[in-house]
This record gives sequence, structure tokens and C-alpha cells, in this order.
Amino acid sequence: MTLTRRHLVALALAAPAAFALPAAAAETVKLGYQLPLTGNTAQYGQDFKTAAEIALARFNASGRIPAKVEIVFEDSRSDAKEGVTIARKFVDDEKIVGVLGDFTSGVSMAAAQVYKEAGMPQLSQTASHPDYTKISEWQFRNITTQAGEGPYNADWMVAKGYKKVAVIAEQTDWGQSVTKYFADEIAAKGGKVVLTEYFNRGLPDFRSLLTKIQREKPDAIYTGFFYEDAANFLKQMKQLGIAIPVYSTSAAHNQKVIELAGADAEGLSLTTNFLPNSPKPEVKEFVAEWVKVRGAEPGQFPAQAFDAVNIMLEAVVKTYPKSTRAAIRDALAATKDFPGVTGSTTFGADREPVKQLSKVRIVGGVFTPVAD
Amino acid sequence: MIDPYYLQQLAIGLSQGVIYALMAIGFTLIFGVLNVVNFAHGEVYTVGAFAGLLLITAFAPPFLVVLFAVLAFGAALGFGLERIAFKPFRRFSDEASLKSRAMRESTLMSSLAVSIVVREGLEIGFGSQMQTLPFDYLINKPIELGPVTIVTGDVIIFAVAAVMLGGLQYLLKRTRIGLSIRAVSANPLGAKYVGIDTDRTIITTFALGSMMGAGAGILVGLYYGAIFPAMGFVPGIKAFVAMVMGGLSSIPGAVVCALLLGLSEGLATTFISSNWADMVAYGFLIVTLIFFPQGLFGAGRERV
Amino acid sequence: MSEFVRGRLVPLLVLLVVFALVPYGLAKFGKGYFFQVAQLVLIYALLAVSLHLVTGAAGLLHLGHAAFYGVGAYVAALLGTEMKLGFLWGLPAAGLAAAALAFVVALPTMRLVSIYFAVATLAIGQMIHTVLLNWVAVTKGPNGVMLFSGITLFGTPVKSPIAIYFLVAGLVALSIWVLHRLSHSYYGNALRSLREDDQCADAMGVDTVRLKIEVFTVSAFFAGIAGALWAYTTGYVSPGDFGFNTSILVLAMIVVGGLGSLPGAIIGAALLILLPEVLRGVGDLRNVMVGIVMFVSILFLPRGLLGEVSALSLVRRGFGLKWGAAPSDREVGWR
Repeated sequence: MTLTRRHLVALALAAPAAFALPAAAAETVKLGYQLPLTGNTAQYGQDFKTAAEIALARFNASGRIPAKVEIVFEDSRSDAKEGVTIARKFVDDEKIVGVLGDFTSGVSMAAAQVYKEAGMPQLSQTASHPDYTKISEWQFRNITTQAGEGPYNADWMVAKGYKKVAVIAEQTDWGQSVTKYFADEIAAKGGKVVLTEYFNRGLPDFRSLLTKIQREKPDAIYTGFFYEDAANFLKQMKQLGIAIPVYSTSAAHNQKVIELAGADAEGLSLTTNFLPNSPKPEVKEFVAEWVKVRGAEPGQFPAQAFDAVNIMLEAVVKTYPKSTRAAIRDALAATKDFPGVTGSTTFGADREPVKQLSKVRIVGGVFTPVAD
Repeated sequence: MIDPYYLQQLAIGLSQGVIYALMAIGFTLIFGVLNVVNFAHGEVYTVGAFAGLLLITAFAPPFLVVLFAVLAFGAALGFGLERIAFKPFRRFSDEASLKSRAMRESTLMSSLAVSIVVREGLEIGFGSQMQTLPFDYLINKPIELGPVTIVTGDVIIFAVAAVMLGGLQYLLKRTRIGLSIRAVSANPLGAKYVGIDTDRTIITTFALGSMMGAGAGILVGLYYGAIFPAMGFVPGIKAFVAMVMGGLSSIPGAVVCALLLGLSEGLATTFISSNWADMVAYGFLIVTLIFFPQGLFGAGRERV
Repeated sequence: MSEFVRGRLVPLLVLLVVFALVPYGLAKFGKGYFFQVAQLVLIYALLAVSLHLVTGAAGLLHLGHAAFYGVGAYVAALLGTEMKLGFLWGLPAAGLAAAALAFVVALPTMRLVSIYFAVATLAIGQMIHTVLLNWVAVTKGPNGVMLFSGITLFGTPVKSPIAIYFLVAGLVALSIWVLHRLSHSYYGNALRSLREDDQCADAMGVDTVRLKIEVFTVSAFFAGIAGALWAYTTGYVSPGDFGFNTSILVLAMIVVGGLGSLPGAIIGAALLILLPEVLRGVGDLRNVMVGIVMFVSILFLPRGLLGEVSALSLVRRGFGLKWGAAPSDREVGWR
């Protein structure tokens, strides 16, 4: 069933893109979006594409500028060599004034070298590598880095009285930053990290690791993983009968965790800046559109992509009709209090977003905002 | 008294090993007859899991029905795979072609090409994400054995692997078809000369091996509750390693080595970080090969 | 005449295309995209040809080639960022480091034959990849290494795409020439004897183990050079680029091109890099298409696009020449 719906949607969305009217092309503003549409990270890329299409359709229908905006999607397979090639392709197309993506930091950073040389603004929804925005003044991102999220979580856990914490994270640049910023803060607050471990993303069996964690008898576990690993981890933890509170980051914030792990996901606490059941009108509209296409509520990553696209479109509006790459960059850098679905976004001087985090826990099979 | 911690790690390592073994049995069987690495075996495993998933979501039959349906489907898959990726390259049957490396490597590539098409096709059809499974079907209900916790799936997978191994040994050693499989595996040309229908034997072997691959796929899929297009990659490599460590020609040898591999990974996590666990498994392989260049249980068979 | 055509004219034409026609075309279009694709083809051509030496000429199935490519890339990138040693140091160092590592791992494992050898190289490749990914203190682990300094030759920075293209093309051509001389010589014949029957070669007095270690090391050297070129043309390396999939990709290149044929390796590399780019238009289906094209090409040309003539016909031709015209020195080797 998922199959047919996906197909229909893909067809419906691809058809207009493929036969875009040449007449309107003269004045369209083009943006590039590089993302993994195939390969084993395609699920994330497909989410971003849907989010971007929702944002774009809404924008083009609003008529805020007299021209249409078009987004060119290119598939990078999360492969650096394809990512760099796409970057060159986007740079070559003089009509493209800004680029979104890529998904992984590795590919984003390899592509960023090209954008730096060519002077193309690049806004990634997920690149979390600490050095990403330091590459040049052309790199922006719309993800709360662990510099903000780690300490926030540490404070939360210390406030709950958890002093001995085991930390596990996936072995990626992002996982590295998860453990680092968290450990710094919890040590400063008098807590202690009793165990730090990394695992490869997609590890099927966490039980050896879980048994090892159990032996250290921590008060809580802090985890840096994406939702699929989260589901596996939580299921196997229940199997082994381990009852230690688990805390996580916004990367695990996805309906799929509950779908995949069911009752075993109960009690997972995490931080997020996107609440699908928030009463804010922009959130309601986005969630309604997403449910129409996908049939389930969106998670954190699609929301970040949706905001990233909207921030980029806002920059187009501000600069139109003189939307050059440099103008877009300056407009992006000047983004202040942008009202997105992941809260209001302001780019600091370091081109990092400043975001408000909130606490969520899975209670009764739903992500429920909590005070503690 | 041994620390229950180590017992638990031992149990986990063993259950990992049994999963690798399940995969390695079919892999070794297929390698035996053609002497080629079947890169598509991992995809047979994945397709088996997806077939089971479709069946479950469509009809929700009892567990055993799912298992047998997937086994039958796997046999059909093996038949198709042989037809598409291996048969076309056996059109030359003279000795030079049979020995030619280029021919052998071309089947290696054709199976790789088929596996790429299948995996990418699944990704387009189903998406790369883990599929949602009905929780009733998962075979991961905990069973407490004193200080050690295992799950129902461990028992089921162990039983299935044991039945497969026993059945296969019986088939190979006690039946006519088994005899012809062994004959083709020992010397395809000679087997042909004495009147064995080599084509049929090879197809049978593929059907058997793929049946086991597909069965392993659905069992492991239900065990972890994780079915996704790339799921066959890691078990495929591990099965390959176990097969070679066991000495190519010996299915029990491959099973023993798969268990060793699982155990070494499980126990390694105790002493080193789990992301380094692969080092132990591969280091183990290299050391084994240095001291036993023909694998642990390799008969002194003719060089391939 | 035909000897002249095969021996001199074809390489000359290829050089003409690589050094004159392609850059002319690229410069005319003025697109960075085409330069990038051309560079990728060149780097992968070198990688494929270096694997050709082991797998094609010597007939040893090597499933861990990408790891040595990765070692080269990391050495070049780390020397550039940590030691501030430029391209001229980084390039040879990358090759030597990869070769040294290959030599060390080859010592105990090169006695293995056939599939045992293949799985040993698989294990070596996976272990090197694990180290690149997890030895955070040295390789920076999953963070990868960013190489800010571009290519500088004797104090002059090489910046324009066309200059970088020429530099890469020149280095690749030089390396491939060396590999070509290696595989088309008495040495190459010894390698082929290894492929056809290693026990027989042993009996004839070829030191097969030593030969295997040598060829493995040389191949790793050039893989390391390719890695350095990748590091310097991209500016960022991370462990994900050097996994098992890349090894398989390179293997697929030489098999599609024709196992045992050096030009085949180059054509295979060009095909498997260009195809996914050309097929961008078909959207998400493109990788399925790549698989299908691979399958069809293997199906109809099981020896690859440019497979080496089978040993038997070569011998026959060799004897025919010897019996016919006066034997000349030029008949040595496999032209």
C-alpha cells in the first residue's frame, strides 16, 4: 500500500517538473537541491524532496513575487564523488542562485569546497559537522548543532538527578559531536560519563553493547542515533529486560520510531524543536499537507528541510528581482526571527541557526511535550 | 561460577553466529557446484524477507505458513537467478572455457549486476527505510534462562538452522540428487561425461541454496523486526567469510566458522569498543588463513 | 604496419584525445561540471588500471583495492593539513605509504591462492576501512579531513580547471604508461603465467610468492597516487568514499572492460563513471539502468568489451610469426 501511494505521489510531482513550461522559464528563479534520492539513505532524501515540494507549491501559489521559483533536484546517493559533480553542475547553471543540501555532512562538505570557490550560497538542512559553516561565508545550515542540544540534554538529565550516564552514538561526524558536547556539560554539572561507545549506523544487533552498558549500571543512557537505530536499540533493550531511562536528540524524533518499536519505544525522552501537534498555524498547515501526501505525521528532519527551503525562498523574495548568488547570500545571512515550523530562526554571525529546544517524551504512543 | 555477564555475551554471540550460519549454508552450497561467488545471495535473502512481509501484510497467515511460502518462493528465486545470471555463461562447455578465469569472473559480475538491479528496484518500490511489521509476527519475545536472557527467535533460528544442516547433509550423502551435486561440485566435466544432467543439478542446487537464503531473510527480518533493501549486505559478507574460513567444500565447516565469527564479535564488544568489533572478525580470518591456507576444514581438493 | 598501428598509433590517438580534443571541448563549453566528470574518469581509470595489474594480468581477485586508494587520499590530505607539505610531497608520499602498507599486509597473505586470496584481500580492505573510520586521533575518524591548500607546483598555485585537468591527465597518463610497460614486458608475461597456472609457473622457476607481493605493492602504489589526486581535486576526504562498494565498483570496471586488457580497464572506468551521469535524466531509475547495462554488456560480451585474446590463440599467432617472417625483438611481450 505504501508502494502505490509513493509511486502515485512521485509521478504526480515529477510530471509537472519534467514538462515545465518553457515560456515561463525566462523569468523563473532557479534553486538547486542535492540530496540522496537513491541508495541506502534515500528515505531521508525522499523526505526532504517531499518537504521541499510542499514548500515550493505553497510559495508559488502565494504569488509573493511575480516570477515562479523552480527547484532542481539532483540525486547524490550520499556519495562524495557524485555530490561534487552535482555541485559543479549547479555552479555551471547560471540561473541557479542558491543551493540546498546535502544530507550527510561528508557529502555536504565535499560539495562545499566547490561552492566556496564559485561563490554559491549553500544551505543544508542536516549537515552537522562542527566545521561545516567554517568552510566559508557561503555555508549555512538549519540544524541545531550539538553545541546547543548536548548541554541542554545534560542539564535536563542532571535536573532529573541522573549523575552516572552511559553515552552511545553512531560513528559519524555527528555522533562524535553528540558525545563531545554532552560530556563537557555533564562533567561541568558534576555528573559522570561512565561509558562512551560508538557503533556503525545500521547495526542490527545492539545486545552486546546493551549488556555492556548494563554492567556499568548507569542512571540513564544518552544516545545519538537516527530513528531506525533508535527503534532497534529500544526493542532489544526491552528484550534484555533493561530498564534504564533513555535520552536522545532530535534526530530520533520521527513517528517511525513508534511505528517500528511500538510499546518498546515508550518512555524515550528527547529534545526537539518541532512539535507536530503545536497550535501554530504554520505548523498546522505543514503537517496537514504532509499527512495528505504521506499519511503520517512528519518528523524532525522533514521539518528542518521545510524550513530550510522557506528560508531560501524568503531570501529570494527579499532580493527579487536582483536575485544574484551574492545577494541571496547576504539575504540569508540577514535572516532574523524567521517564523518556521521548527521555531523562529536567526542566523548568527557564524551562519549557525539559533533555535529554541523543547522536551518531548513518548507517552502512550505519542510524542508528548513534557516539562521535565 | 562464571560471571553471568559473560554468559549473556556468549549467548548473544552464539545467536549472531547462528544467523550468519543460516546464510552461509546456502552460500556454500551454491559456491560448491559452480566455484563462483554468488553476489546475489544477499539479495535473495532480502527478497525473501520482502516476500514474507508482503504475505504478512496481505493475508496475515500463521507463522509456519509464512516460512514455508517464503521457502517455496526462495526456490523459485534460485531457479530464476540461475536462469538469468548463470546459465547464459555456461553456453560454452569445452574445457578451456570451463577453466577460463574470464568466464568465471563474468558470472561473478552478472550476479553482481543482478544484485544491483534487485536492490535498487526494491529501494524504488519500497523506499530505503525499514518496513513496519505487525508486532505479533516478531519472534523476539524474551525467554529467561537463569541469568541469561534469550528470545524466542534464537530458539526458532537455531532449530531451523539445525534442520537445514541435517537435511542437507542427508540429501548430499544419502540421495541420488545429492550424489550428482557432489559429483558436479568435484568435477563438472567428468560428471557430464558419466551422464549426469549437470544443468539440472546446478538448477537444483541453486533452488536449494536460495531457498535457504530466502528463509534466512524472513527469519532474521522477523527476529530484528527490520526489513529494508540493504539488509542482505552485511550477512552476505559474513557468510562469504565464514564459507572461506571453513574451507569452501565443507558445509559443517562453514557453520562452525560462522558460529566462531559471531562469538568473536560478541565477545570482542566486551574488551573493545563495538565499532572495532569488525577488526576482530577479519583479523581472526586472516590469522586462520595464514595458518590454514585452505581454511579450517578444507579438504585437499583440487585447486580452483 | 598493423604492429605500428597497434603499438604506436592507437596510444598516440588516445593521447591526442586526452590532451587536446577533450580539453578543447571542455574549454569550449567552459563548464566545471564536464571538467569534474573528466577528472573523475581519469582518477578511476588509474585506479582501474592499477587493479588490472593484480586482477587482470596476474589473475588474483582483489576485493580490497579501495582501501589503498583511501590510504593514499588520507596520507596526502593529512600531510597537507597537519604537516603543511604540499602536493609535490603529498603525491609521492601517498603512493609510498599505500605501497608500504600493502607490502606489510602482503607478506603473510600472499601465499594464499584463488578464492582464499580474494577473501584475504576483502578482510584487509575492511580492516583498513575500519581503521580509517575509527582511529579518530589520527584520521579524524568520521569527521574526515579537509584539505584547504590547493595544488601548488613549485610555488605557483594551480587554480584554473583546465590547468588542474592537465595536471591530473598528465600524472594519470604517466602512471598508466608505467603500468603498461610493466604488464607488457617479460615481467608482465611472468604475471600472466601466474594467472594461467601458478603451480606450473612455480615449477618453471618463477618465484610466485615474491611476484605476488611485488605486484600487490606496485598496484597499491598507483592506487595511492589516485587517492592523492582525489584528495587534492576534491579538498575533502571521508572514510565513506573508500569502502567495499568502491572496491567492487573498480572491479566491475575492469571486468566490464575486459579482464586482462589494459585499454579495457580504461574504457570500463569511463563507462561506469559516465553512465550514471548520462542517466541523470531518468531520475531514480538510473542505478537500475546502470545494473542492467552492466548485465547486458556481460551477457553479450562475457570476456568484456576488450577482452584479452585467449592464451591459446596468442601462442598460435606467436608461433606463426616465428615460423613465417624473420623473428624480431619486437615480438616479445603481448602487444
